[in-house]
Amino acid sequence: MSDDKNPFPGENNTGHVWDDNLRELLNDPPTWWRIGFHASWIFVLVYTLLYPSWPLINTHFKGIMGWTSLGEYKQDLKAIEEVRAPYETKLASMTAAEILADESLSSYVVRSAKVLFGDNCSACHGAGGQGNPSYPVLADDDWLYGGSVTDIQTTITMGRKGMMPAHKAMVSEAEADKLSASIVAGNVVTEPLYMEKGCVGCHGVDGKGMAPLGSANLTDGIYRFAAADQTYSVKHTIMHGVNDASDTNTRDAVMPAFGGTKLSETDIKKLAVYVHKLGGGQ
Amino acid sequence: MQASLDQKYNFDIVKWFTVASVIYLVVGTLVGVLIASQLAWPVLNFDTAELSFGRLRPLHTNAVIFAFGGCALMATSFYSVQRTCGVRLWSDKLAWFVFIGWNLIIVSAVITLPLGLTSGKEYAELEWPIDIAIAVVWLAYGLNFIMTIATRKTSHIYVSNWFFLSMIIMITYLHVVNSLAIPVSAFKSYSVFSGVQDAMIQWWWGHNAVGFYLTAGFLGIMYYFVPKQAGRPIFSYRLSVIHFWALTFGYVWLGAHHLQYTALPDWTGSLGAAVSLAMIIPSWGGAVNGMMTLSGAWDKLRTDYVLRFLIVSLAFYAMSTFEGPVMSAKSVNALSHYTDWTIGHVHSGALGWVAMVAAGALYHLVMKLWNTEMFSAKLVNLHFWLATVGAVIYIIAMWVSGIMQGLMWRDYDEFGTLTYTFAESVAAMHPYYAMRAVGGLIYWLGGAVMLYNVIMTIRQASSATNTSPATAAA
Repeated sequence: MSDDKNPFPGENNTGHVWDDNLRELLNDPPTWWRIGFHASWIFVLVYTLLYPSWPLINTHFKGIMGWTSLGEYKQDLKAIEEVRAPYETKLASMTAAEILADESLSSYVVRSAKVLFGDNCSACHGAGGQGNPSYPVLADDDWLYGGSVTDIQTTITMGRKGMMPAHKAMVSEAEADKLSASIVAGNVVTEPLYMEKGCVGCHGVDGKGMAPLGSANLTDGIYRFAAADQTYSVKHTIMHGVNDASDTNTRDAVMPAFGGTKLSETDIKKLAVYVHKLGGGQ
Repeated sequence: MQASLDQKYNFDIVKWFTVASVIYLVVGTLVGVLIASQLAWPVLNFDTAELSFGRLRPLHTNAVIFAFGGCALMATSFYSVQRTCGVRLWSDKLAWFVFIGWNLIIVSAVITLPLGLTSGKEYAELEWPIDIAIAVVWLAYGLNFIMTIATRKTSHIYVSNWFFLSMIIMITYLHVVNSLAIPVSAFKSYSVFSGVQDAMIQWWWGHNAVGFYLTAGFLGIMYYFVPKQAGRPIFSYRLSVIHFWALTFGYVWLGAHHLQYTALPDWTGSLGAAVSLAMIIPSWGGAVNGMMTLSGAWDKLRTDYVLRFLIVSLAFYAMSTFEGPVMSAKSVNALSHYTDWTIGHVHSGALGWVAMVAAGALYHLVMKLWNTEMFSAKLVNLHFWLATVGAVIYIIAMWVSGIMQGLMWRDYDEFGTLTYTFAESVAAMHPYYAMRAVGGLIYWLGGAVMLYNVIMTIRQASSATNTSPATAAA
């Protein structure tokens, strides 16, 4: 298979033939392509003249437009901050309650806290504050630690970690069954064991819980640890407690603190107002 | 004729790589369909670490790029280098070493990646012992290829071989530098690069794996199989020289465009973007040269389904080599980066260009190697349409979802606050993720049809050979 002799006479090929019939023609590239090719390297020169580009010994060519990515970022941020400024300066010096009372500011907050809520709260409490299994609903008026905007602000800033001791040592299986059945029936205060076992100490004579302790209302049919078999779930809580380090089966119920380095004070105020306005604020 | 060619050239090794490539096409895209479905329906992760998206995604990319793509490249390059040099492969033994070694590497990927053994470098996830094996096998492949050219009977080196050579040299260099790492145990190592240097090396490798492996290598395929299948001369020798050198010189600059608006210095990103945009025309040079090769023979597209694969792949190639540079420009990149648009772009190249040109070449190979027609030409046509429709559905789904994501992430309301939460943008993607999974499934079906057709063709050819007295006499 020699390529010395051209077996395709009359064709404007290079005279080389490979594998019986592979050959290349002597056509010029199309004109539009040749123009484009030269435009391409000229474009590189122009682009690199405009933007920071060629590396030099200790620095780089800065480009005649003075563009930097950090400069672009700062410019964009400044434009956004100018829009926010009239609201944000007021928010910084006002309390959450004052913001809530101010209609234009609180409607600003509802818009601006939406993404804050979505990024920080909704993973546990749901996109609309509708709660999730073992994570409290924020859109109803049942509050463990109080539903005023100040209470909510405290909860977000400091976090919450309620404690209920495990009762498996002092409550028998049968007693726990009785207690949980009466809680689910909504009449736990009439159950003698409620007084005997000391439940009343934290959950109150009326069984409605105490906000300073974060103890649950046992009469309203709203459950911190909702489950398909609610009686069983309540019994589990009675026996193993909540956040009781001495019991490995205890309920794990922690609201993390967002104060300090996580969120700014203004952001937390915004979130408190936002959560309050989800519908259940008091 | 065929019998003498069989004796002159080593076609056995090409046959094995050809069949392996078709099998890996089906397997690799099947994993792709699974992980695409996992994004749409997370329950498909089955709460099992080994089957979760994070473990299977690198398995998918390694399977399609290195198993399917690698075997396709080795089949086509070992075939065409012999035929265009007029000599047998320099070493049969080395060729078998490459086949066995490459497939053992693929097996080791299938084991280690689902187990979570990864170096964490995208498109180079395999851990250091496998990286060393890749270097050794790749060098053996390169040596055999180069020595075959060195012993050629023809005076000049054919254009397809320039592209394969450029791939072999550059991928050696890229793979070795990017994989430099300090081992801390048998299956754990840490890159010698850190921070922004690591990011730059990573994307210098990442983009040049696209540039020299998925582009130069597959242009090598194009330059042999398009003129062969069409029976026409290459349109322009001059064009092939210019666009070869422009691509080879230009592509190595592009990696930085993956790191716009990051800690990477601005000057590096500008150079990446400038040269990227300057690569449109050289890339189109290859597409034009392939398509114009058909001038005077366009009617063949009506009847030759294999040629359809080859030519439509060039259309996808032209499209994605326009799209990529546009996405590298800073202002477009600010919108497109981190979105599904990138995934769509990669797949317009991978499904439309790489896999289609490879499929065309593999069909050509099957017919030549087994000296027969395809078992069913209609099934080739069916594969063509499934591949085209599947790829288009996939790409459109990702364009819509990617651009929507980018717009949602940057949208501000009149109070200067973000309009959407990140989770809302994720929820908005769902229909497009489902659509992508469907497009991928259609594409996979095409591959399955191809595998069936190839198996039937080989069976048919083998039984014909066994009963043919002419062959027995020869």
